[in-house]
Amino acid sequence: MKPRRWLSLPPLLIVAVAMACWAVPGSAAVQSAAVQSAAAHRLAPAAVRATPSCNPVASSLRPTGPPRVTPGSFMAKIRARGYLIAGVSQSTYPFGFVDPLNGNTEGFDIDVVRAIAKAIFGKPNVEFKAISDAQRIPEVQSGAVDIVAHTMTINCARLQDVDFSTVYFEAGQQVLVLKNSRAKSLAGLGGKKVCATAGSTSIANIKAAPSHPIAVPVTNFTDCLVLLQQDDVAAISTDNDILAGLAAQDPWTKIVGPVFTSEPYGLAISKQHPDFVQFVNAVLQQMRTDGQWAASYAHWVGTPVPAPPPARYKD
Amino acid sequence: MTAVGDPPRPAQGARPALGQFVRATTTPAKLRLLLAGLVALCLVWGAVAAWVVSQRAAGANDAVSSSETLSLDGQQIYRALSDADATAASAFLSGGLEPINGTARYQADIARAAAHLESATAAAGHSPAARDLATLSAGLPVYTGEVQTARADNRLGLPLGAAYLREASALMRGTLLPAARHVSAQADAQLAAASGQATGLPLALVLLVAAVIVGYVLYRAQRWLLLRTHRRLNPGLALASVAGVISLLWLAIALTVARADLLQAREHGSTPVAALARADIAALQAHADESLTLIDAQGDDSFQADYLAIQHRLGPGPGTLLTNAASTAQGSPGGGSARAATTAATAWYRAHKTVRALDDNGQHTRAVQLVTTQGPGHSSTLFGHLDGSLTSAIAADQAVFRVHATAGRNAFTGLEIGVIVLSLIMAAGCALGLSRRLAEYR
Repeated sequence: MKPRRWLSLPPLLIVAVAMACWAVPGSAAVQSAAVQSAAAHRLAPAAVRATPSCNPVASSLRPTGPPRVTPGSFMAKIRARGYLIAGVSQSTYPFGFVDPLNGNTEGFDIDVVRAIAKAIFGKPNVEFKAISDAQRIPEVQSGAVDIVAHTMTINCARLQDVDFSTVYFEAGQQVLVLKNSRAKSLAGLGGKKVCATAGSTSIANIKAAPSHPIAVPVTNFTDCLVLLQQDDVAAISTDNDILAGLAAQDPWTKIVGPVFTSEPYGLAISKQHPDFVQFVNAVLQQMRTDGQWAASYAHWVGTPVPAPPPARYKD
Repeated sequence: MTAVGDPPRPAQGARPALGQFVRATTTPAKLRLLLAGLVALCLVWGAVAAWVVSQRAAGANDAVSSSETLSLDGQQIYRALSDADATAASAFLSGGLEPINGTARYQADIARAAAHLESATAAAGHSPAARDLATLSAGLPVYTGEVQTARADNRLGLPLGAAYLREASALMRGTLLPAARHVSAQADAQLAAASGQATGLPLALVLLVAAVIVGYVLYRAQRWLLLRTHRRLNPGLALASVAGVISLLWLAIALTVARADLLQAREHGSTPVAALARADIAALQAHADESLTLIDAQGDDSFQADYLAIQHRLGPGPGTLLTNAASTAQGSPGGGSARAATTAATAWYRAHKTVRALDDNGQHTRAVQLVTTQGPGHSSTLFGHLDGSLTSAIAADQAVFRVHATAGRNAFTGLEIGVIVLSLIMAAGCALGLSRRLAEYR
């Protein structure tokens, strides 16, 4: 028989943690995190994966000034290529969707991407690449897209893999049901099917709900609405602004219950391009102050327009 | 129960009479026995020959009428549904108001599929294909309902429409098209079995053995009579012999002719048709992949991967569908078109490569144009050449099948009744001939 080496890992972990507690406090956290993450890789990747604590809303890089394409920067490379490549959704109304009336990709996320492209080229030269929720991190990591603008929540686990811009939108998870449903929140949906997209924070929250709803992962949020209309699921649970976009497409649905999570949206960029993160933050700062952000919010989400989420940085 | 040591005694009277008949010691008794035996033998011969003929004719009939119809309907259902799916997808592809000719084409496709579904269900009866046809009958309204919902949402400007279209397409590709493919495959298997039954050797062998036995017994009977009665010719037995020879000749000619025709129908008809149809179905599937790659807004390349997998299976190249189809169609009227299909396929693959290159480099609109509109070098036009070559090859070889298989079936016309009547004549001849001899002893 082959020796099953991973069996010896849990004792090793205990020893490591014990040693870490006994050692210098500063290095202890680092060591135990390293051992834990190695153990998590071998045992059960997603479930046990240890994430160092962080502050997701203050995790980005401070821009050095107004957006400027400096020679040798990643922005200069994008400019040489002639267009920005952005990973977006094409089915999340009103953030990123294809307008059936003209075939164009539009939405709040799309406005932000266009503003960034404009800061690079002077005009919005963007190639939109439609990606699913689950593809967001791999697409950024592989360099297939320069940036992802896709109702993406900034959290500590994702910050391990990619960099984020400052927060450009604040959402929170709620529940969408048919008008005749008596469910008031996830608590009333125990044992019932609840839909969200695969690879989203929403589906993880549904799985973790104490009432144990049955999580139904799909590719797009519109797929969830199809299932709800066909009575295949009892509810959809995701960010309130996305639910509002779905409710706008079906007057027989309603949003119920409290907002039970906080989902700060950021633009995902490869960890290899900190200069681009700074550049994007500078563009976002401009949008916050010159009224572009408010205009886009009013157009896609509606009035009254709140104050844009403030820019907070790591330092 | 009888006691041990007390053997049962035969009943008086009954046993000696029977023993006398079976032992047939006297000439009249022998003649009586011979008469009964010959009449029975002639009737058995008639029954065996009629049974063999009915089996063969049923096989030929099954091949011509039901199996071939079913296979053809299966192909047509697949073609119509696959085109409906690609048409519905490309209507959304173009953005804006759906082009009216796209809607018309989709509706014509659905109507065609429904018509073939009905005739296939009638032809299938209780064959294994019936279950797949039931799947199609149940799934088609669900599919059209979803496409209609997609269309209505699209008209309202709701992005939800695209989700309904994806769901409809998934139903089509995951359930309906495989069922249609299955119908054709099962019908082809049924056709092969039917044509095997109509041309196979075991039944002919049964007939041959029966003929040898009847011929030998008739010959021995006449010889015995000749020796016993010193008469050269017994008209009754002679009549029976002539009738026997006629029925044997008729059987031999009909079976040989039918066999030759049915083999011809298989070799230059149904076999190339089945191979060509397999290639055509694969080509249609790849064509739908080409459209769906452009519409699928998920950024995954599953449709393109499917296209490449099919391209690999389709060929041309050794062991591929197109090359197999071209080689089985060699020498048949569809051979030329089948060869043309292999070159058309290569040209289409090149155009598809151009489409992919354009789409991958941000020229989506131009790529869509190449797939949805006709023009020199356009992918849609070149696919049209491939599909056109395959369909005309299929039509040509199907005509060959029809002509030969019908001729093969017609060779059996009247044969079953014929052999029964001839066997009755044989029995009557034997009875007549022997009863005359028997009368001489009264």
